[in-house]
Amino acid sequence: MRYNTFVLNILTQQPSTPPNPNPDLANLINRLTSFFLPGGGCPYYKGRDSSAEPTFLAALALFASGAPAERAKPLLSWVQTLQNMDGSVGVNPGHRGQGLWLTAQAAIVFHHYELKENLKRAQDFLLSLRSITISNDPRLKQDNTLAGWPWVPGTFGWVEPTAWSLIALHLSGQAGHPRAVEGRKLLLDRRIPSGGWNYGNPNLDDKELLPFWDTTGLALTALCGQAEIDRLRPSLDLVEKKQDKIESLCGLAWAVICLHSHGRDAGRLRTRLWNLMGSMAEEDLHVGNFALGVIALSQKKVFTA
Amino acid sequence: MKRRQFLKDATLLANAVALSGIAQNVPSEPCPVTLLAMADYGRDLSREIAAVMSGDGLQLKGKKVLLKPNFVEAHPERPINTHIAVIASAAHACLRLGAAEVVVGEASGHRRDPWFSVLNPSLRGILDKKVKCVDLNHGDAVSVTNAGRRTGLPVFYVAKPVAGADILISMPKMKTHHWMAVTLCLKNLFGILPGVYYGWPKNLLHFRGIDNSILDLARTIKVHYNIIDGVVGMEGDGPIMGKAKPVGTLVLSLFPLAADATAARLMGFDPQRIPYLFQAGRFLPGLKQQDVVIRGEKPARFAAQFDCPEEFKGMRGGPFF
Repeated sequence: MRYNTFVLNILTQQPSTPPNPNPDLANLINRLTSFFLPGGGCPYYKGRDSSAEPTFLAALALFASGAPAERAKPLLSWVQTLQNMDGSVGVNPGHRGQGLWLTAQAAIVFHHYELKENLKRAQDFLLSLRSITISNDPRLKQDNTLAGWPWVPGTFGWVEPTAWSLIALHLSGQAGHPRAVEGRKLLLDRRIPSGGWNYGNPNLDDKELLPFWDTTGLALTALCGQAEIDRLRPSLDLVEKKQDKIESLCGLAWAVICLHSHGRDAGRLRTRLWNLMGSMAEEDLHVGNFALGVIALSQKKVFTA
Repeated sequence: MKRRQFLKDATLLANAVALSGIAQNVPSEPCPVTLLAMADYGRDLSREIAAVMSGDGLQLKGKKVLLKPNFVEAHPERPINTHIAVIASAAHACLRLGAAEVVVGEASGHRRDPWFSVLNPSLRGILDKKVKCVDLNHGDAVSVTNAGRRTGLPVFYVAKPVAGADILISMPKMKTHHWMAVTLCLKNLFGILPGVYYGWPKNLLHFRGIDNSILDLARTIKVHYNIIDGVVGMEGDGPIMGKAKPVGTLVLSLFPLAADATAARLMGFDPQRIPYLFQAGRFLPGLKQQDVVIRGEKPARFAAQFDCPEEFKGMRGGPFF
């Protein structure tokens, strides 16, 4: 099976990417797995209960690192039991109806681990989940009539849930679906003119908002190969130009992932990400973001086809 | 509802409120509010804050305390968030008063990355090692029955560390708000609801009405103490796009509405003309100026006129002091 390979094999399977300068990916995986809980899931932070997102990202990190399938099995079982009858996936077993935006991440896991029946149901739910639209507001230079994906059903569309949903649809061959086409329009519409993405609107009252590194990296990854490169170039250039200003684990991970997806050099960022992940204190360690860092360092394209 | 229509309705309501006078259901009671001078963020005020909290009768010995600052998003030039020096002073004041556990927790409204909120090294670096910082956006929540009826939401999913705390201290920034006129202690409660449940921003609360959500949370969540960072506030197009407005004071009180009403008056607004504060006055004490007992510095020293969007200029009032 695709995921049944070992950590270091992945380096030799991808001759187009330079060998990983640091042999410690397996150590990072070991640290990641130390957060796994006996019930099968994974918490956001040590000492908390299992949650969907860190479990999804941990499963994807295992996949990216080529870890043996056995290591992912408990996570996958936990994820499968979290899926609701309608295909949606919520935040945790106690609150299954909350955080349904997470269905997109679940679909990515189902795709990579070839859980076809789960994937089909998750896809069906995603395609039924549509953000509401409102009339345009002169304060915001954006098209509010475009539908993407909301955080919560019945609310507006935002960059992050739209980008996750697009990734899920693109991976599973649904890039041509009208919902995906409109979702990409929404993401492109929300670009900050000088580059990057805020979490929602790009400006307010003619003032550009600041780009966020996580949403910028995520949006660039979601649009990789799915939009004209000229429309993405200012944002990619921005990430490259400002890379020394990116300090957080989440920001670094997304910067590496998006630059790598677009075939750009992320070497300096990778080095900083390695250093950061090797020195993180336990109490600060956001397990989902740590898993994202592993995905970034693995150089495996998990979020793009 | 469109913003312009919302604001039109809000202004009409504000005018109606001003004409109708206060129709409070809560009996009048004296609500002490202390103004503590803090000219800049260079001073450690933990001793003074501890003295005020103790004087207000706040018992912290052996208690689990959660400080809820306001970290919306980070901007290099704009005073959007509660300053870390104020958070540190308050946290260390709690330790002085014998708190068993002091946690700084926030579910940041715009930034999902906790590095820009309570897990920022600058905050960690200034806090005593005994103080923990907790990202409330990502983690477990407890379902709490909504004690209000305005949003139609049956429950709120409250971050577990908040639900498990003995003492909740709301620590907002003194700011104008482009939807609500002002954002202070009551509005700050949006940040106890995890983003993984509600999103970034907490758009569900916007759709149910920001004012409705503030009021339902105010009925549902017991806040034990309030400290407003008015050292440098934000005027104009707050809570994100506005400009710095130095005021030079902290506002402390056991009573959230009294703290908010006093801060609003310091900002040059009449709290009785701000619809959500007026509505909160129906079930919380402290709206009426005659019920507020100002302690510490004289308020006239800090009285300011915060610039605000045109739509809210009808909610101004005073001079109050």
